Amino acid sequence: MVLMVDTTTEHIGKVIAEELSRSGDNADGFELIDTTGMHISHCVGCNYCWLKTPGVCAIQDDYEPILRKMSKADQVWLISDTRFGFVSWQTKNIVDRIMPLVTMYLKFQDGQMRHVMRYDHQPDIGIIYTGDGDQVYLERWCQRTALNIGSRSLGVFSDSQRKEAVSCML
Amino acid sequence: MHVVIINGSPRVRKYSNTEKIIAAFAKGLSEKGSTFETYAVSDRNTWDVIRDAYIKNDEILIALPLYVECVPGLLLEFLETLPRKDEHTRLSFLLQSGFAEGCQLRCGEEFLAKLPAYLGVRYGGCLVKGDNFGIRILGEEKQAQVTKPYQAMGELFAEEDGFFREEAQKFTGPEYFPLPVRLIVGLLFKTLGKKMFQKAAASWGCSVPLDEKVWEA
Repeated sequence: MVLMVDTTTEHIGKVIAEELSRSGDNADGFELIDTTGMHISHCVGCNYCWLKTPGVCAIQDDYEPILRKMSKADQVWLISDTRFGFVSWQTKNIVDRIMPLVTMYLKFQDGQMRHVMRYDHQPDIGIIYTGDGDQVYLERWCQRTALNIGSRSLGVFSDSQRKEAVSCML
Repeated sequence: MHVVIINGSPRVRKYSNTEKIIAAFAKGLSEKGSTFETYAVSDRNTWDVIRDAYIKNDEILIALPLYVECVPGLLLEFLETLPRKDEHTRLSFLLQSGFAEGCQLRCGEEFLAKLPAYLGVRYGGCLVKGDNFGIRILGEEKQAQVTKPYQAMGELFAEEDGFFREEAQKFTGPEYFPLPVRLIVGLLFKTLGKKMFQKAAASWGCSVPLDEKVWEA
């Protein structure tokens, strides 16, 4: 399943979803979440999801249903505005709060410390962005983020390259 | 020199590892005759005051924990509220993380190195250091002990060269652990480490396994 999480002010996820529908094969295998109007806090770093209530975030807002879907999805596409060449804080908040999918336990993988994941299945992660994104940096960040959850980067695409991104969703 | 130190952690000050690191660092500044004022973005009600200090001063240090390979979302939100300044202002960073090796912080460091240009200000370098997860769960005495090395970095910073000196670069420690260390520490993670975390969790009132698959139950 392909999950798109759209935090953009222009709601560009809608256009991408339409393109994906038109392309046929995967028309039913995706879901678009537009976070407009939702209450999604930033991560407060309490560590409760690791040490007090493992796997459960202490903040009760509109985020948990999104995270449940993210954990089940094969692909998660972050659709984001950009600032300082990077994703917006709205998107960063969504990524910072994936920690319930990660456990407190540690291991070494490919020469680096990593957390042991809570579930067997992990989603790959891609980015589609508006504005003046630092393409090279976003690619690095997306790869590193995927590495942290034991998955892969699907790539980073500007809004104008969204057809390419859609072809990765099929 | 007078330094405005902003704690960029979203965690409340009382439990913030970054706050403890700042305290040791600031002690080093004082030792060398520098002065400082500290703020924390975790309290939104103080954002106007922090922004005002950012505008009025030209030596700014943001100390922050690494959150998913970059800046925490809350700090990113605060940064968006800063007005553009010029090169008279120098912006430096102290980036700390839980993971211990230097390689874990480089992606975050790259963002911070590019950030001052977006704000119109000069980059003063980034002090990079991992292995700080445990500070919070230590007693006060131990906390002072493990954060002590940051005092020397405060003393170094007071000499006005930002974090560009070799001592600051070396402070990070190893980029990667050598294989024998990884094998031993990896084994400890599977045994003593698990027990230690489970014990810490129990003291927080947790009675379930830390790797419980809550959504599959």
